[in-house]
Amino acid sequence: MAGVSSAPELPQARHESREQFAAIAHLRWRIFVNSLRTLRGRLEAVSWIFIGLLFAGMGIGGTFGLATAAWFLTSQHKVEWLALILWGVLLYWQLFPVMATAFTESFDSTNFLRFPIRYRSYFFIRMAYGALDPTTLIGCLWLVGIAAGVGIADPGLFPWAVLLIATFGAFNLLVARVIFAWIERWLARRKSREILGVVFLLFIVGVQFIGPLMGRYGNHRGRHSRSVIPGVAATLLPAEKFTPPGLVGASLGAASNGNPGIALGSWAIECGYAAILLWLLDLRLRAQFRGENLSEGVAPRAPAAAREKTAVREGLALPGFSAPVAAVFEKELRYLSRSGPMLFNLAMPLVILAIFLLGPVNSARRGNAAVHNAAFSGYAFPLALAYALLILSNLTYNCFGTEGGGVQFYFVAPVRFRQILLGKNLVHGLLLAFEACLLWVVVCFVLHPPSLGITLATLAGALFASLVNFTAGDLLSLYMPKKFDYAVFGRQRASGVTAFAALGAQIAIVGICAVTFALTSYYGRLWLATPILLAFAAAAFVAYRIVLNRIDGIAISRREALITELCRAQ
Amino acid sequence: MDVPAISTEHLSRQFGSLVAVDDMNLRVTAGQFFGFLGPNGAGKSTTIKMLTGLLAPSSGRMEILGLDLTNNPVEVKRQIGVVPEGMALFGRLTGAEYLNFVGRMYGLGRDTAAKRTAELLEFMQLADQPKALIADYSHGMQKKLAMAAAVIHGPKILFLDEPFEGVDAIASGTLKAMLHGMIARGATIFLTSHVLEIVERLCSHVAIIYRGKLVAQGSLEELRAGVQAQGTQAGPDAAAAPGEKLTLEEIFLRIVGGTRAAEQELSWLG
Repeated sequence: MAGVSSAPELPQARHESREQFAAIAHLRWRIFVNSLRTLRGRLEAVSWIFIGLLFAGMGIGGTFGLATAAWFLTSQHKVEWLALILWGVLLYWQLFPVMATAFTESFDSTNFLRFPIRYRSYFFIRMAYGALDPTTLIGCLWLVGIAAGVGIADPGLFPWAVLLIATFGAFNLLVARVIFAWIERWLARRKSREILGVVFLLFIVGVQFIGPLMGRYGNHRGRHSRSVIPGVAATLLPAEKFTPPGLVGASLGAASNGNPGIALGSWAIECGYAAILLWLLDLRLRAQFRGENLSEGVAPRAPAAAREKTAVREGLALPGFSAPVAAVFEKELRYLSRSGPMLFNLAMPLVILAIFLLGPVNSARRGNAAVHNAAFSGYAFPLALAYALLILSNLTYNCFGTEGGGVQFYFVAPVRFRQILLGKNLVHGLLLAFEACLLWVVVCFVLHPPSLGITLATLAGALFASLVNFTAGDLLSLYMPKKFDYAVFGRQRASGVTAFAALGAQIAIVGICAVTFALTSYYGRLWLATPILLAFAAAAFVAYRIVLNRIDGIAISRREALITELCRAQ
Repeated sequence: MDVPAISTEHLSRQFGSLVAVDDMNLRVTAGQFFGFLGPNGAGKSTTIKMLTGLLAPSSGRMEILGLDLTNNPVEVKRQIGVVPEGMALFGRLTGAEYLNFVGRMYGLGRDTAAKRTAELLEFMQLADQPKALIADYSHGMQKKLAMAAAVIHGPKILFLDEPFEGVDAIASGTLKAMLHGMIARGATIFLTSHVLEIVERLCSHVAIIYRGKLVAQGSLEELRAGVQAQGTQAGPDAAAAPGEKLTLEEIFLRIVGGTRAAEQELSWLG
């Protein structure tokens, strides 16, 4: 096997690397320019301009805010407390790209390995791709703000702050790259991919419990929590000093108190963390560079005598629906059952409810009358169902994303697209119905049965929301499809346009339902919410039928774009 | 007069200013093993995509078994089987689940779909891994599965886009056996391939497309005779020697006027 670091003629190699970087930059530029040739590409560019403005606002606003906070803490001689701010930056930097994958880089730089590229160049490219991520740019901007805040409050501390915060920035950049590189390696195998999918979603959901749990245990006036919280804090706080944000705070504190030994020691540990991450990343990238093959194969054919005779089970029958609708329905269920992230949607209601139970119930215990009323008058059910609806919209708005090359089959088979989409919508509707039932039962047992008026109005609202989502989702699935790859982690999932449209639709739906609930409740006629929302549902149904009746024509007119997008290699 | 299995009239397809298929008049008689040849970019895949409903023509008519494809797409699709370029597989299903799904999409009853699925898996030697997902299949296994899916409903016409590409000799033998069986039972097969030896061995009739235009069409003997006649008219140097039987590759190269790589000079190549 060829070595990975052979570079006999350095000047020539450097020149070659520069040429390669220039070629890659040019390639990315041309891909962007060429994407503008299509309407879809132009719409994507417009959506990215909006996303860019959003991120710019977040970045600049955050920079000023964090600079002010850093200035305040430094001028109050509490520079160690900067660790808290840095924890916020770290969590944002590492968690946001995982949860908001629509805004992350979608290009696979391992493609460049087919070229005679040196390992150092490959490493640099992987790092550079990460550094151009909006999250990284914002994170860097915030760190600049923090350093500036410290420098304004204490100019003498500024050089040391710059060094520490730059090290902290490098640490964050490396953490993000290491996580992505290693998780991609695990995602390459189906079993580990499915396990990791569930673990990953449990983690995301776990993060959402922090608020409610803090509410329950952080401010609880009970005797138990009074004894638990300080104990936990006392155990965790010394350990926190050895975390990267804690080390920066400790080092700055030591430097401001004239204790250079501790300051240097803390910085050295920070550098040690970065070095370990660098080593882990190097390990992964070298394996990629050497050409590891993570594909899974099927074991060789067993001897004939040992083989079992094939027994093929008959397909699912769906009373009242044609065979193609039933076939698509069954296929969608199988896909759901084999995808960790998708499967998790089924378990989501309990998680949602747990979040709601921990939040409102504890707020109520603390005497927060508004939340208490909301929870106990039955609003937990509509709120939880609205959240479930939001999660399910991921499936509805890009429903061909997982098909890949299989989408061609729909165009060569003697079926109508309305049958295909009906089958898909039925599965999504079934999921929502299942979640609604589960939520209602758990709300009844744990809180209080929601009133009949709220239950019926919620179901009418869910029906209205589902029909709007199916109508908009079916159209966007055809107009803005985006290939969904199970083996890729943290890259773009839906198109920017779809992400915006889906978000807009959810805001509109929840807005209409909330206004209906609020007005009917205000006038003491909550029962009116059900017929009003049913009227909206009827209008949505008419729109759904119109779209479904025309969907074949739309699919035919969009077939080339759909096949091109979903059949492409990446 | 017999209804042709496939016929096109003035079929054209443009992509912007590029004319991929230009005024094509193609006729394939039922029961033929038909090879559709052409150099890269000649318009083979565009034609097969149009004939199978994956791509709309810019102009012209297409009839499959006497049915207008544009006006009766669903009826036509019921009669044909297709193995498109990308194979159109659903990677997250097992082979049995996929075939079952395809069978039902083609309107087979649940029991029939299940029975044919089992038979096809056995025939294609894919039955020993019932729990493996298609995504984990080798390329050859995927090709065999795609072929099985294309025939599960017993199509009268089978369209195959490069069916033997990336397939080993054993799998290739299985596929060829199945295709010969279909022809023997009266089906029509329309295939594109770059491997001219395979086409020569399998196909009774051939059409050649070049720069979007249909430049030759007929049985192998007709094409051979035509090329030899042209060679005779052009002079003794261009004519085949008496008694010499031109191969399909030679016929193809003479018709499209291609140059062999060996004849080109790339002096910088090692």
